[in-house]
Order: sequence, then C-alpha cells, then structure tokens
Amino acid sequence: MKKPVEINLSLPPYAEFVSVARLTLSGIATRMNFSIEDIEDIKIAISEACTNIIQHAYTDSDQPGIISIVCSINEERLEITVKDTGKGFDVSSPISAKVDGKDTTQYGLGLGLTFIKSMMDDYSIDSVIGKGTTLRMSKHAPQTVPVINE
Amino acid sequence: MSSTFSVNVETQSNRPLVRLSGEIDVHSCTSLSETLENIVANASQNVILNMQDTHYLDSSGLGTIAYSAKLLSDKNHDMIIICNRPQIKKLFDLSGLSSKNIQFFENDTDINF
Repeated sequence: MKKPVEINLSLPPYAEFVSVARLTLSGIATRMNFSIEDIEDIKIAISEACTNIIQHAYTDSDQPGIISIVCSINEERLEITVKDTGKGFDVSSPISAKVDGKDTTQYGLGLGLTFIKSMMDDYSIDSVIGKGTTLRMSKHAPQTVPVINE
Repeated sequence: MSSTFSVNVETQSNRPLVRLSGEIDVHSCTSLSETLENIVANASQNVILNMQDTHYLDSSGLGTIAYSAKLLSDKNHDMIIICNRPQIKKLFDLSGLSSKNIQFFENDTDINF
C-alpha cells in the first residue's frame, strides 16, 4: 500500500474561517471521487468539529491557539484529525449539557458530535483537561482511485 | 471575510416569509438569529422559511431555527419550511426536530393555507 498523502491546514479559531475548512475538505473529497452526498456529509462533519473548537476550546484564553486540521488520504479512506490546544473537557460526561453554566442548547443543540457520528464511518475523541482535544474521523473512499500519479 | 449568506424578509398572503440563501454555519447564523428573533417576536401567525436557495446547513443554523420554532410554538404557531434538499431534511430528521411544530414542504405551491 502506498503511503498516505497528508494535507495540513491551520485556521484561526474564529467563525468566519469555518467556510475555509469546508472548501478545503470539499476539494479533497472531490479529488477522491466521493459522491456529492458524501461530500455534503464531510462538509458538515468538518464544520461541526471546527464549530466545537470555536465555541468551547479557547473561551477562557486570552491568546487562543489554532484549529489544526490534518487530512490523511489513502486509497481506502479519508482520515481527518482536528486538534486544538484549548481547555479540554471530560469525555465521559454528557457533552450536550451546559458548558460553564452557559446554556449552549440555544444555538448548537449539542448536536455537533451526533452529526459527526452519523456523517462519518468512524469517529473518536480524546480530550485532556487543560491540554486540548483531538477528534479523529474517517470515511471510506468510494472506490480505489490513485490519489497521486507516480 | 465575506459571507455567501443572505436573508430576505417578505410578506406572502399577509404571512411573514423569510428567504435564506447561501450557507448557514456558525458564522452566518448570527444574522439569521437576529432576523428570526424579530420576526418571531412580532409573529401573529405561522412563519414561512424558504430554504430553496440554502446550500448548506449544520447544527448552528439548525439550532437557531429550532429555537425560533420553539418560541413560535409558545405562541401556538408553526414554522413552515420550504426545502427540497434531502441533505437539509436529513439533518432535521436526525435531530428529531421534524416531529415538532416544524412543517416541511418541497415547494411553496404545496402549502395549504
């Protein structure tokens, strides 16, 4: 098997840049021959991942870090790792409830992770309080197409 | 950075009609939320959201719409959504919102007043 190709994207953790993440992923997914429906799913998944970081990760911080996105492309699947160095959270406790006593249900409904789960084939999340959160998700490629011509 | 989202408010048979075009995400849902808040506060009947030109929606926009629908339900009115995109309908179904006071129509000629 060929080595996966990696594409890295670093974004400032602000709402206006989520569309940039969507555009990038939609370009990569198109390149991998995903169906239009799959591409829409991937766009939602990456947006939800970025939105979570924007709304929760750096809210206590004067100097917010970045949203780091690594897309690993191979012939079988697209793997996306979305990482922040923010405050982290307890993965074992219900996520959709209140964060810092502030009701988050008004806008996001706590549905972000639910959507990621249903849009992607695999999904995992690791978080360390005070260190940050890493979300990994992947989707099987529709067919084996060479990603790069050698 | 410019946004591709726009929101227009019209009146159709005396009912408020809100047209949402472009992409609704965590960035653009702020202006959506302001508009809907106004409309819902003054609504004396069902509110129509035309999403035929909405190309993208995620949990931020969905949450904003759901919140407005909830405020409308307190007034015993419905949110009527006109949308023919399976992707957007899928999100409403996944979130369990389509069973509440949100009615879906594929196009505006299907609505019976």
